[in-house]
Amino acid sequence: MPTPLEERRPAITPQLAVRVAILGGFAFVLFAIVFFRLWFLQVLSGEDYVAKARENRVRKVRIEAPRGDIVDRDGRVLVKTRVAAVVQMVPEALPESVVEQADEFRKQRSEAEQERLGASSQLHALERDIRESRRGPSRSQRRERRRLARAARQAKPVAIPPVPVDELKLRRLYRHLGRVIGVKPRRIHQRVIEGIAELPYSNVTIKTAVSRAAFNYIRERREQFPGVEVEKQYLRDYPHDELAAQLFGTTREISPAELKMKRYKGVEPGTRIGADGLEEKYDKYLRGKDGYTRIVINALGTRDDRRPQKRVEPRQGQRLRITLDLDLQRAANDAIKRGVEAASANGARAGAFVAMDPRNGEVLALGSYPSFNANEFAKPISQKRYDALNSDENGAPLFNRAIAATYPTGSTFKPITAMAAMEEGVISPTTTLMDNGEYKLGDQIRKNAQDASYGPLQLPQALTVSSDVFFYQLGEQLEYKGNALQDWAHKLGLGRKTGIDIPGEFNGLIPDKAWRTKGYDAYQKCTDKANVPQGTTEALYKCGGIERPWTTGDNVSLAVGQGDLQATPLQLAEAYTTIINGGKVVRPHLGLQVEDGQGRLMEEIRVPIRRRVQFDPAYRDAIMAGLHGAATAQGGTSADVFAGADYRDHLYGKTGTAERQPNPDQSWYACYVDDQFKPIVVVTTIERGGFGAETAAPAARLILDEWFDVHGDHEFHAGDDQSN
Amino acid sequence: MSSHPIQPASEPPPPLVPREWHLRLDPLLLLASLGLVACSLIALNSATANDIPGKPDYYVMRQGIYAGIGVVLMYALSRLDYSRLRELRYPVYGVLIGLLVFVLGIAQATRGSKAWIELPGFQFQPSELGKVLLIAALGGFVVDRMRRMGRDTTARIMLLGLFPTMLVILEPDLGSALVYVAATLAILFVAGAPWRHFAALFTLFAVAIALVLVVAPKMGVEVLEPYQVDRLTSFLHPSADPGDEGYHQQQALTALGSGEKTGRGVAGATQTSLNFLPEHHTDFIFASIGETYGFAGCALVLSLYALLIWRGLHILTIAKNLYGALIAGGITVMLLFQLFVNIGMNVGIMPITGVTAPLLSFGGSSMLATFMALGLLHAVHAQARETAELKGRATVFQ
Repeated sequence: MPTPLEERRPAITPQLAVRVAILGGFAFVLFAIVFFRLWFLQVLSGEDYVAKARENRVRKVRIEAPRGDIVDRDGRVLVKTRVAAVVQMVPEALPESVVEQADEFRKQRSEAEQERLGASSQLHALERDIRESRRGPSRSQRRERRRLARAARQAKPVAIPPVPVDELKLRRLYRHLGRVIGVKPRRIHQRVIEGIAELPYSNVTIKTAVSRAAFNYIRERREQFPGVEVEKQYLRDYPHDELAAQLFGTTREISPAELKMKRYKGVEPGTRIGADGLEEKYDKYLRGKDGYTRIVINALGTRDDRRPQKRVEPRQGQRLRITLDLDLQRAANDAIKRGVEAASANGARAGAFVAMDPRNGEVLALGSYPSFNANEFAKPISQKRYDALNSDENGAPLFNRAIAATYPTGSTFKPITAMAAMEEGVISPTTTLMDNGEYKLGDQIRKNAQDASYGPLQLPQALTVSSDVFFYQLGEQLEYKGNALQDWAHKLGLGRKTGIDIPGEFNGLIPDKAWRTKGYDAYQKCTDKANVPQGTTEALYKCGGIERPWTTGDNVSLAVGQGDLQATPLQLAEAYTTIINGGKVVRPHLGLQVEDGQGRLMEEIRVPIRRRVQFDPAYRDAIMAGLHGAATAQGGTSADVFAGADYRDHLYGKTGTAERQPNPDQSWYACYVDDQFKPIVVVTTIERGGFGAETAAPAARLILDEWFDVHGDHEFHAGDDQSN
Repeated sequence: MSSHPIQPASEPPPPLVPREWHLRLDPLLLLASLGLVACSLIALNSATANDIPGKPDYYVMRQGIYAGIGVVLMYALSRLDYSRLRELRYPVYGVLIGLLVFVLGIAQATRGSKAWIELPGFQFQPSELGKVLLIAALGGFVVDRMRRMGRDTTARIMLLGLFPTMLVILEPDLGSALVYVAATLAILFVAGAPWRHFAALFTLFAVAIALVLVVAPKMGVEVLEPYQVDRLTSFLHPSADPGDEGYHQQQALTALGSGEKTGRGVAGATQTSLNFLPEHHTDFIFASIGETYGFAGCALVLSLYALLIWRGLHILTIAKNLYGALIAGGITVMLLFQLFVNIGMNVGIMPITGVTAPLLSFGGSSMLATFMALGLLHAVHAQARETAELKGRATVFQ
């Protein structure tokens, strides 16, 4: 039988056969490699890739946690959180030209601010010069002062650049968005520029509290609004508007630099943190823990909500209870306001107050008048408004004078001089010095206010009537003891931060020889270098105002709290508290305790005393006797102010009138009531308020009346005493 | 006495099955190719359902149409006497070069990737068709010089092959260019070029790679675009740089791997459906199959390809003449190269070069060109079968 056809193949050459075999083998190897690789990937490592695939498509979306409330010592809410619909723009989505505009704007604004600061320091130098000349300002000086005051008051406004003409898409977006949320395109651009200039990486808030309709409209048409985000956001709400507004601070998104800091470890980018004030200091407690939800997204980033996803609820921040007493704060604010009004003839505009528990440093009231409505800062605030809030014209309500404004304190400094003098052995509580109305130092003659003369005085009486001549003598004597007066001032709490738990405190200044010498040296060097003759106005601006070295006269001025002394109301309160306490230096603080949302105590804020100062209790008693007399006895500088007050028997107070040439005098009052259950130290001051008894003391009375629940007549009991 | 009646040699006996009824095609090859088309359609159906909103069947329909036209083309070509192509080798080569130059020229005007010609309803990619043309032409040239497979021949054939390769590189289409090189080498190999030639060519190639990827950039000359270099080298370190190329690689691996043994089904194939896997209808369709149908699906596809290659090699061995063997060899190696580079790319062992998987990836030009190549294979097969029959009878009666 012939071989079946299919079995016969045409022969191929052996070489070709080899090659085909090679090709076949090659193909086999390739397939084998692929098979094994697949086996490895899919069967052996399959689970890893399943996990990776899940990672790809599942994203964590942050659910913002509401911040904890801040409440006063009785639990009344001072700062709370509310939900608002916020429209923001994402900086990454904005065109380059806009970012450049914002950079330019920031630069120009900081230049303008520099100019203003320059003018401000020149103004200070000029005022010191006028003060020291004791002659009153000349016409040209007055003119110069006016010019500088204008320049220092407000930085030159920087114009917002217009929307770039060739950014058609952006213009369209602004128009569309503006129509929907009711904001002019120009205003949108302004917010964008200011926002980017301020915080280049954060979303710029265009409007908070948009209507629900607008919110939904934009939400449903995301693609029509590229770069726009609408979110429900938590905003801070301040039910009491301007009360204690300077204390709270604001909140904003964490910056990239802060993310690296240890104190913000574990904080996700985009979290809101506190900036300034209590919000910053106690951010750790107030900041809750953001939750998250897992959503499924595709490679383009759009959500796929068909499947339900895991959700971790956010944890609300803890509540901060502070030592403040809301009613007292309100009363104090009103009291200063009335004081300012009473001195409006002098051009009075501003003042400050501190009320503290001397036993532990709990701050019962603290503030600066005028204040501002804190709710303004919960929304984006225009540069113009912000500048206005910082301007002197409006009383710079953002400025917390209680801790940051430094002034000479006038006679309220005298107890410190007294303590220094007694401790240094210059006098004893019973030493008698003569006050015949005049004090001579070299060829300088200084007198008491109103040319009064009190005759022979011991310390307590000298305090009661506030005799300058008595204390001038002490000042002179203390000069021979080196830096004794300054050291005691420092020990008792002036010239250094008190350590209060809000940022922004100033050190103040206790002038001494070393300080002045250094300043004078610098002045001389500077005038030499700039080739400007000393003592001229030009030198004043260029090189500062320390035109002469230290003299005994400076110490004498310091002894009555005048001259170059710079102290804040809080520091004064601290100094008085130390004397009252017999040497225990407390740390003033606002934080009382941390609670959870239901009010359960989580953590007490313990504030140990800072240090102890040793002095003889007899000296303290002498000073206290003097202060008691000042507030209650016949001839006491504030006795008529407190006539009829229930707590008179326990009242100790000192008036002060600080010279602030060329401005009117500043009124001061520092007092203490040693009630068994609610002792309190109060310091009030009113810029341009006149004599201490005129405005600051009556304001203090109103505060004390409120504290002791005295159903008084709420009258402003201005005193007649016109001493320093 | 035999049971078969004795016939005069001049008249062939009536075949048991009428010739016209013969299925001239290799059934297994046909099975493999149709099987792959079926896999392609199934994969596209699930992967591309959401690609074009409102047209979930867009890709499936088009691929189906291409396949249909392809099958017809294949059958037509299978009835062709392929040896005629050998006679037409010069015109065929001319058409090849002409098309490639044309597409370069036309694309200058449109400032895009110079690889496509826009026809109504269809984008024609000449480099795909060129693969078949090149094999046909080069095979013809080689057969001429069969007895003189010396250095000259090798060099000439290489140059003839490299010229269109360069044109393709200019498009720029690096992947296709590599296929051209592979086809040229295959033809030389099957023709019997001496081993040392291949050693020399290999060294040259390695040197060229070194030059292009390492030396020239150091001297500041960018032979390849940076993104091309990236694509070529990123497979070596995919997770080091989750930039574009590494990202694609990672996504493909994730897709494939997550399929595990039997896949995640259409709904669970999130890499594909949520668009994390790029090009899931062309370059990375294998990864998409891997995700949806798992190892099982991939194994099926690989088996079909293996079948395809095996039949191709088989046809090579039974080819009735050298030319048939050459084009069968060229086509088989071309298919092998393409499928290995594409699947290799999907599993992370090959660089990303934009080579499509024959019959599997979506693409009209590729589908049609592949079916034309298969048609030629079938033609070689058919003629070989016929010849075998004839030869067999001749042998008996001589």
